[in-house]
Amino acid sequence: MSDLIAGAIAMASFVIALFFLRFWRSSRDRFFLYFALSFGIEGVHRIVSALTFDESEDTPLHYLVRLLAYGLILWAILEKNLPARRSRSK
Amino acid sequence: MAITIYSLCTLTSLACAWLLLGSYRRTGHRLLFWSGASFVALTVNNVFLMLDKVVFPDYYLLPVRQVSALVAMLLLLYGLIYEKE
Repeated sequence: MSDLIAGAIAMASFVIALFFLRFWRSSRDRFFLYFALSFGIEGVHRIVSALTFDESEDTPLHYLVRLLAYGLILWAILEKNLPARRSRSK
Repeated sequence: MAITIYSLCTLTSLACAWLLLGSYRRTGHRLLFWSGASFVALTVNNVFLMLDKVVFPDYYLLPVRQVSALVAMLLLLYGLIYEKE
């Protein structure tokens, strides 16, 4: 059952990544590319952790990948907002 | 080490949710709302990750963690499908 849900989460992540990839292609806004990358990484991470799930190997280090995915989103939002703030202050 | 990584996961997802919902309030783009809602659910997912691994290692919380992650993905998927760009 848990493998089934992990598969569903991975599939949803990949579909979300594809949606953002399409937005990136049509708008050329890097904001969407970071989102696509982040959800792609999340999808791969879910599959790898479902396949290699083993109590002894389930180390916290493995969740650094998740941090990378969230970091990309944070970077995307900050990059989008910083120029706006800079131009507003001028 | 473990506590640091799990806390960072929770804090970064919370920051994403906060910034996305803040952007939604300023711009009114509905997609930002669904992304923010998704990260709220991911934050819940990471809180349960921490509870599972650090606070209550004897309890089996994997189903709760998985369901919260699935809810997060479905919220964003719903937004992407039903909202205009």
